[in-house]
Amino acid sequence: MRKVLWSVVMAAALVAPAFAHHSPAAFDRTKKVTLVGTVKEFRWQNPHTWIEVEVPDEKNKSKLVVWGVELTSPTYLVRAGWKSNIIKPGDKVTVVVNPVRSGEPSGIFVSLTLPDGRELFERPARLGTPDSK
Amino acid sequence: MMRTMTIRVLAAALSVAAAGCSSKPSQPAAPAYTPTEAEVEAEKAGTLSALAPANLNKARPTPPFDLTSNWFIDVSQDPKAWHFFLEPYPKLTPAAQKEYDASVKYDKEGKVYKDDIGQCWPAGMPLIMTRYWPMAMVQKPTAIYMISGFMNSVRIIYLDGRKHTDPDVIVRTYNGESIGTWEGNELVVDTVGFRGDHHWMDQDGAAIPAGEKLHIVERFRMVNDGKQLEIAFTMTDPDNWEGEWKSTKRFNRVVDTDIQEVSCLPDLNAHIKSTTSKTQVFQ
Repeated sequence: MRKVLWSVVMAAALVAPAFAHHSPAAFDRTKKVTLVGTVKEFRWQNPHTWIEVEVPDEKNKSKLVVWGVELTSPTYLVRAGWKSNIIKPGDKVTVVVNPVRSGEPSGIFVSLTLPDGRELFERPARLGTPDSK
Repeated sequence: MMRTMTIRVLAAALSVAAAGCSSKPSQPAAPAYTPTEAEVEAEKAGTLSALAPANLNKARPTPPFDLTSNWFIDVSQDPKAWHFFLEPYPKLTPAAQKEYDASVKYDKEGKVYKDDIGQCWPAGMPLIMTRYWPMAMVQKPTAIYMISGFMNSVRIIYLDGRKHTDPDVIVRTYNGESIGTWEGNELVVDTVGFRGDHHWMDQDGAAIPAGEKLHIVERFRMVNDGKQLEIAFTMTDPDNWEGEWKSTKRFNRVVDTDIQEVSCLPDLNAHIKSTTSKTQVFQ
């Protein structure tokens, strides 16, 4: 019973967004785009941390497309192992996002693979629950 | 003889020590506060601040609970609790129904209808209570100060017996003007004085406007031995729906996180590209 209840809690936490500055409806949660590129800028700030990644255009590899990646706030990222200097401009990274439905180069963060191979995720906000530490 | 004296001295010393441990140190009675001339004038004019010493030092009954803590919306029973209300919605007025229908239509098309919060407009009441950020509450005898972790939005509930501000004078805001009174084990909060533009009861395919006639009554109570705060909301807004709209939310006491400075800075949306993407519908 406890296991079932915990599954419900986990599902709830995963459904609810870890942010609330803007509507999450713009993103297609059923799609994932893998961006292999170079960090242009990484801003560690409230309410959202964001990364800009330069990615070679699919059709014209010499052209770079700047993707905007939106993350939750540092409050929650710290609990998932993030730091303000974990990536810097020039780092080669792989970022997976759920893209905006319009097809523009913008998405909400799913995962990040660092140059050393470590993989980072966000941590869903579950404050005030047994899993909040 | 010597041994008997030693024992008596020790016993006396222990007795003094025990007395010191078992009784609270005596505190001098707090001197009655003498209001300053300025406070007397403010009291006469009806403008005495909630934080004026003369107001804070007035004799009042001890409240049944102290809300001072950080609180976070409980989504364990309802994944969508951070949305303010869920279906069934009340019967909407034609104007509100038009907005709601438009938001449903655009949501189905994968677009976002009038996401004013995403454009840095305040969430406002009641949505500010259920944002997915903790809210700090500090209770004084005369007022409760709430600061949301979301954009540091401030809400004040006055407990010092004042009445609502004259409607011709009140400065309308998104969180409104809240007056609280203690009733038994509950705090009853009456809120009016809202702005009626860029103010919504919900978002994401459920755009229902909040207007200037919005009136919210909340009943606060502690549950689960103070681990949770429950607020029962009753809301009316004749310009947007018929009758009373009711919902009850619970909030978990948060002891391992503090709120931080959070602002919607001018450069935020320039880098949060979804807020300016073609998915947005602004009118």
